[in-house]
Parts: sequence; C-alpha cells; structure tokens
Amino acid sequence: MSIPPPTRPRVLLVDDESGIRDALAPFLSRSGFEVYTAEDGGEGLAAIERHSPALVVLDVMMPVLDGREVLRRLRREGSQLPVILLTQVGESFERAAALEEGADDYLNKPFDPQELVARIRAILRRVNAGQPALGGSAGLTAGAVRIDRVARRVWLDDREVTLTPRAFSLLDYLMTHPDEVLTRERLLAAVWGFDQPVASRAVDHRVAELRKVLADDSGTPIYVDTVQGVGYRFLHPVSRSSGGPSGAGGAGGAGGASGTRA
Amino acid sequence: MKRWWLALIPLALGLIGTVVGVAAGDRRRIVVTWQFEWIWVQLGLLVTVVLLLVIAVRAALRRRELRSRENAVAGERAERRRFVDRLDHELKNPVTAIRLGLSNLPETEVAAGLDAQAQRLTRLLADLRKLGEIENAQLEIAPVDLEALGREVVDAVGELPQSTDRSLAVSFPRAPRPLPPVRGDVDLLFLAVYNLVANALKFSQPGDRIELRGAEDEGGVTIEVADTGRGIPAEEQGLVWEELARGSHTRDVAGSGLGLPFVRTIVERHGGSVALRSRLGEGTSVRLRLPL
Repeated sequence: MSIPPPTRPRVLLVDDESGIRDALAPFLSRSGFEVYTAEDGGEGLAAIERHSPALVVLDVMMPVLDGREVLRRLRREGSQLPVILLTQVGESFERAAALEEGADDYLNKPFDPQELVARIRAILRRVNAGQPALGGSAGLTAGAVRIDRVARRVWLDDREVTLTPRAFSLLDYLMTHPDEVLTRERLLAAVWGFDQPVASRAVDHRVAELRKVLADDSGTPIYVDTVQGVGYRFLHPVSRSSGGPSGAGGAGGAGGASGTRA
Repeated sequence: MKRWWLALIPLALGLIGTVVGVAAGDRRRIVVTWQFEWIWVQLGLLVTVVLLLVIAVRAALRRRELRSRENAVAGERAERRRFVDRLDHELKNPVTAIRLGLSNLPETEVAAGLDAQAQRLTRLLADLRKLGEIENAQLEIAPVDLEALGREVVDAVGELPQSTDRSLAVSFPRAPRPLPPVRGDVDLLFLAVYNLVANALKFSQPGDRIELRGAEDEGGVTIEVADTGRGIPAEEQGLVWEELARGSHTRDVAGSGLGLPFVRTIVERHGGSVALRSRLGEGTSVRLRLPL
C-alpha cells in the first residue's frame, strides 16, 4: 500500500458480523479513510480511546454492549464524536430512538455502500469546516428558529409554534443536516420509515406546513430551499443550543471530544 | 368450566345444616299451603326460568367459541408477522455483506448481474420492513378528504407508464352529499389507495377500464377500485392478502406480493376492512371501508 496522505480521516467501524467488517473496511479504505474495526461495543469504546477517530460507524444490534448503549455512554460523557448508526430492526421507534440519542445519521441494513460514504463525507465536511456535528445536541438554533430536540418543541422569535409530529421530525432532520441536498426518498425514510417514491408528496405537504409555520417564502426561502426535481436543503446556518424555552442560541462546540485531525 | 364443583358448595352447606339439625334434635316443621289454581302460573314461570337459563348458557358458549376463533386468527396472523420479521432480520446482515463484497470486486458483467439481484433482495427486505413499520407506526390522525385524496392518487399514477393507454374514471358522490371526511392518517391512506390503482394498472391491458369510486354507507365510507383486467382465479382469492403470495397467473408481472397486505394493514390500523371480488378474465374490484 502506498503511503496514505496525512489528511485521511480516521473512521472506526464497529460491527459484530465479520462478513460486514471484512467487506466494508476495504471499501471505506479505498474511499479515502483510515479504517479501524472493532467487533463489539466494549471493544469499540476502547478503540475510540486508542485511535481517536473522526467518526464512528456503529452497528445497533451487537452482543454484550449494543450500539445504542455505546452511543448513550459517549453522549453522557459529553463527547460530540460523530456517529452513524447501522440499524436493522428498522422500525420507527428504533430510528427515532437512534436520532434522539444523538446519532448524527443512521442507515438501514442492507445499505448501499456508496450512500454510507456520502453520509460520512457530509458529516466530516461540517466538522472539518470547524462546525461541530449536530446529532448530539439537545437543541438547535437557525436564525429565528429554535428547537428543543428532546421535548420536541419549536420556537420562532421566542414565540412557541406547534407542528405536527412528522413536520417536527422533518424539521429536526433538515436542521441536523444543514446545507446538504436531501432527496425526498431520504427524508421519507428518515421521517416516515419507508421510502416509497410515490409518497414523496407526503414530504412536499409537510414542507409546505413547515414553511407556513416558519413564515418561510418558497420563492425567497431563508430556511428550507427546494432543490428542483430532487428534494430539499436547509439553507440557514445551524448552531447548537441548549434545549428548553429560555435556551440562548449560543454557538460553539464546547465539549467536542473528537480528535478530528489526529 | 373447570370449577364446576364450586356449584356443589350450597348443597354441601345445606347437608351440613341438616346433619347438625338432626344431631341437635331439631324437630320443628314448616307447613306450606298452596292454592291449586295458581299452580299453572307457577309451573309456567319455572319452565320459563329454566328455558332462559338454557338460552343464556348457550349464548355464552357461542361467544366463547367465537372469541377463541378470533384469537386463533389473530394469533396466527401475529405468528406469521413474527416469522416475517425474523426472516427480514436474518436476511439483512448477509445481504449487506453480499452487497459490500460485490462493491469490492472489479466491475464486470457478472458482478453487475449479482449486484442487481442483491438490490432486488434489498427491495424485498425494504418492503417487508415497510409492513412492520405500518403495523407499529404512530398514526397522525386528522380529518381526511377522501375525494381530494382520490384525485391526488389519480394525478400520481399518471406518471406510471401504463396509465397512458388505460381509461381511468373517478366518481365521487354529490347527492345527497359529498363524502364526509374520515379520521385517518392522510399519508398512509394515500399509499393504500395508490397501491390499489397501481395494481389495477399492473394487471390490466391497454384499452382496459379502471374506476375509482367513493361511496357512503351506514356509518362508513367505501373507496372502491375496479378494473376490467385479467382477474384472479377463485381458488387464489383468499391468498391475495397474505405476505409474499403471488398468483399463478402473475408470474409475468414484477412485484413482491406485498402490495395488498400493505393495503390491508393500513386499512385495519384505521379500524376499517378490505374486501376483494374478482372473476378470472373479467376483472377485479377491491373495496376499502373506513368507519366514520
């Protein structure tokens, strides 16, 4: 193997299935990452200490210490290390729980490996630009919009507004992936749990609801931009904030424990 | 009926009372006089009470049998669901590994062919998962205008290639009144109706007719999708609602056999019901009924 360029980001892959580790590690390596693997949650936590990766790809279903428990422990310690969960139960509660417990993204098995690489790059792009990953934050602020991700509440200019549960989930997903073009299918999978393309009208209806509540004009949007024929993109820069009604829209990534450019 | 012996307790108590009375030397008597002309009424009353008791017991037994049969059906369905979930679960990791392994191979025709098959398995798993999702998803209930929804479905199927050479007619009542709104999850109901119309397109020929009709009946609203397509053989009609069931005459049409179970799951989660009528060679009609 040739000498890797110094900028190869470190990715830790934690999965108990050797078939997946053995096939995914070389693929990620060829995609430009320095890959470490671990076969269970405990080993994964140790490997995070040892290698300080820039991002962790974490399987949910593992013996002894499962992926969600690993994620919970990381977040409890205040670590903002970006995490992509590989879920396989695939039911809505699993996905909702994954995002609520601070995963930056998740993919259902079986997934398209190219898609995983695209998601890893999207998260690392943010982190490398000096912005913290948003998945582990209890609250988010973008301009006049502030959301409490735990209590699932939204404020616009300090006035609380109400959204249907799915519109909230949609806003949450858009805000945790700012400036990324999100296809309707991906939004469907994230919010509704299935990606039947014909249901993309459901996404359009909810986006219309969001725009109405946030007083966002689709012609000159501040928050949600339409990407013709593809999907949507959250335009406004997003910063972390504490949850709760009086949370100040503070920026900054305090507690970022990830050794990004180790 | 395991505790029938409890019914003997009063008799036992009576027996004890009598034994105690005899032992204590109780010799008191009660003399009852009976007016003979009332005896007929009293006999009649006695027979009526006995008959009512028999009827009540038989009704209770019938209810019990019905309940146990319903439980059996529900249990069977839950068991099949669990099996499908396990199947889904057990297939995911191997299919993921296969797809990842293929992505490491140099691009050849063979690899591309294998990848296409792996993607087909991925889609099947996604469909299976979708069923599980619908069964567990939290519904977002709001008033739904089924006529607007039906017309939106017709717009959406307009994008399917088969829609150009079939005639698609939509009819919703105006008299005595338009369909009242039902309470439901508009996204899921849209998917249910869309699946039915897409199915009708799939199993029909150019020139066939498809009708989407709405109607109101006592306490409910029905949406019916009828076609003049190929129809389903009588012996296979009971199977169409089952997961992965594919008719013997549909081998030429791509599909997973999960469309109708998906529709049924959505409708049942709304407290509604589904029914299918079909004649081979003449066409099929599927009717969804949603409570008002």
